[in-house]
Amino acid sequence: MSIIQITDLKKQYNSNYVLKGINLSIDAGQIVGYIGPNGAGKSTTIKILTGIIGDFEGDATLMELDVRKNPIEIKQKIGYIPEQAALYDVLTPLEYLRFVGKLYQMEDAVIEKKSMDLLHLFELSDKAKSRMNGYSKGMKQKVLLISGLIHNPEIIFLDEPLSGLDANAVILVKEILAQLKQNGKTIFYSSHIMDVVEKISDRIIIIDKGEVIADGSFETLKDNAHAGSLEKIFTSLTGGSELHQNTAGQFIDILKS
Amino acid sequence: MDKLILRFVLFCSRILIRQGVDFERLKVIAETKVLMDRRRVYMNWKQRQQKENSNPLLMTLIIYAFFGLFIGIMVFTLNSFVLNMIFIHGYVLFMMAMTMITDFSSVLLDTTDNQIILPKPVNSKTLFVARLVHILVYLLQFTIALAIFPIIFIFIKFGILTGIACIATILLTVAFAVFITFLLYALILRFSNEQKIKDIVGYFQIFMTIFFAVGFQVIPRLINLDQLTANFQLHWYSYFLPPVWMALTLEAVNQFNFDSIHLIMIFCAVVLPVFTFWLMIKYLAPSFAGKLASMNSDSGDRKTVSDTTLQSASISEKLSPVFCSSKTERGSFETVWKITGRDKGFKMQFYPSLAYIFIFIFIFVFKSGKDAMTLWNNLSTTKMFLFFIYMPMFSIAGSVAFITTNENFQASWIYQSTPVAKPGQLISGGLKTIVVKFFILIYLIMFAFALYVWGISIVDDFILGFFNNMLLFLLMTNLSDHYLPFSRQLNTKQQTGKFVQTLLQMLLIGALVGLHYLVTGNNWLPLVILPFSAAGCYLLLKRIQNLDWLKISF
Repeated sequence: MSIIQITDLKKQYNSNYVLKGINLSIDAGQIVGYIGPNGAGKSTTIKILTGIIGDFEGDATLMELDVRKNPIEIKQKIGYIPEQAALYDVLTPLEYLRFVGKLYQMEDAVIEKKSMDLLHLFELSDKAKSRMNGYSKGMKQKVLLISGLIHNPEIIFLDEPLSGLDANAVILVKEILAQLKQNGKTIFYSSHIMDVVEKISDRIIIIDKGEVIADGSFETLKDNAHAGSLEKIFTSLTGGSELHQNTAGQFIDILKS
Repeated sequence: MDKLILRFVLFCSRILIRQGVDFERLKVIAETKVLMDRRRVYMNWKQRQQKENSNPLLMTLIIYAFFGLFIGIMVFTLNSFVLNMIFIHGYVLFMMAMTMITDFSSVLLDTTDNQIILPKPVNSKTLFVARLVHILVYLLQFTIALAIFPIIFIFIKFGILTGIACIATILLTVAFAVFITFLLYALILRFSNEQKIKDIVGYFQIFMTIFFAVGFQVIPRLINLDQLTANFQLHWYSYFLPPVWMALTLEAVNQFNFDSIHLIMIFCAVVLPVFTFWLMIKYLAPSFAGKLASMNSDSGDRKTVSDTTLQSASISEKLSPVFCSSKTERGSFETVWKITGRDKGFKMQFYPSLAYIFIFIFIFVFKSGKDAMTLWNNLSTTKMFLFFIYMPMFSIAGSVAFITTNENFQASWIYQSTPVAKPGQLISGGLKTIVVKFFILIYLIMFAFALYVWGISIVDDFILGFFNNMLLFLLMTNLSDHYLPFSRQLNTKQQTGKFVQTLLQMLLIGALVGLHYLVTGNNWLPLVILPFSAAGCYLLLKRIQNLDWLKISF
């Protein structure tokens, strides 16, 4: 039985459909890369699955629980890491994690221990007690990563988790995702960074204008599109490389004029 | 007006400077900066304006001119010439320094110029002059707004010569204000870092907002102050204050009195500002610029600095188990406690509203034109203590909306992505913070004062009053829209039903105070009402805690 089941999912803003009927079923223990151009509906899908957007058409179940009917049970078992570093940055990481931990109904002592250990692993332990408004974007992103995983969720939703991270941290996060998968967790992952998606995903879903336009492992996509890299597959599916070449050519022409 | 001043200053610079400056580029840079000044949100007005095309700068200038009008009117009501001039110059000095510190600091400390303009083909002298022009335009705008009315009134009352001299002394005062500001920054930079400056500027901004709140109430009242200061005497230390130099200089001009003391004062008034200004340009400004440049070039350095400002454990973590029942509520209680202590946006809105409590009590209790001494002596025979009981909540209940807004309102996604079954507990946690952290403290101050004036007999009134206040607070929060803590954008203020709500609040307070008034003096009646009030509080709190997601507004 699939752990994420989406049936005919639609979402409209002011009678303008951003999701036009998405059907997906995802098995437990997979890393799913969910990619698409800006405005394709990636974040909207994730926000519906994590219960942030409650108003939509169609059905979605996680762990066989209906997103509409059992949001609280679902949220206890999933983790969400959003794209911009949106957190209350006048708090310190320890205080923020304490707050989030409380919302996950965790015990004080457990929160304290886990936060400190995880911050230590991310090399933030010496800054654990200073406010985050002096932090770089990458440092905030690390705190967000911890806050989405601290309650040991079964399904993890990541929206551009690597933005702002330095090269070493990217490698570390990739490794963490791989090991989470080995522990049976399901990871639903949205990103622009194609080569990372290409390397770690078991399955890649490409959406454009609110519809799924490709779905499968990297190898099957490669065979279907006759292209070498995910980036090439992506451009050939979502707009075509000729279009981009044209635009770039015109750009140069205008500069010369 | 700013465009006109800019043209004037540019014209002057064109005459004064012969070579090395590219005037086309100078004009473009200065124009852009003046335009950006217009669009910059003035901290003091942050919550009031939000429209894209509004002009917050103009609004601020009008407010300043309005204050200046009242200070200026004193020219006609105050008898002492010297005192009058001290007021005017003191006002200009204070406002100018405060404005420079709170508002212009963002421009002075801004180093984006280095990244944006330096890579472009602009020579350094042009950039330097452009900055100077920009600062001059800024200063002139504010000087005109602050001093236009006082100067006009002085021309009318004391003639042309004194008027012209006054323009000169006002300009010297502004120069001195600039020096003070620079000195302050240089001192902070000398002993501390950039983050500290921002903190300190933040405190000045909060102070300014409170000053404005108080100023609106107090400054118009200053006009009838005349008999109070009829016999005004200069102390020896007053001679060290710049407004006194200026005032005595003007007196010398006005009365053609050039004895030794006035000559010394004229010397101080003219030479010291010029000297300090020269000192600043020669020594302070270059080291200042150097400091700023080094601060931004090395970001790694800044990170190590931030390590020193470690956050100690908050008292809220000790208090939350005492006041809160569930984990969700505790989390909200602690977080609201911490953020209200640190977020500048909150402090700037909340503290002025606290200042209003004291202003209103002052106005209500001492309003009648009678002499303050007899009022004070008769105070203990009145029932005025009811003001002390109920006035704090009048202000605090209105401030609940402030904990629902935050600059980082997007961070409230966390409430939706975590398993929060009863979001009402997030709200109740925040409300409890307001009561525990702010209300109880203020109430105790009120109680201490009332105990001093009225004695032990008002103790039961304050106990009943506390529960009535809670009842009122919870009623108001139950009736208004329910927003989660820090989940809304700063500038959105809900308009709908605001009037009805305020009216309702007034009626409720009126009814409760009336009821309380009727039972005062009775020995047992307050104690009979008390359980009902307490039970009401309990039920209303439970209702808030049990709110579900459908009842929450976004």
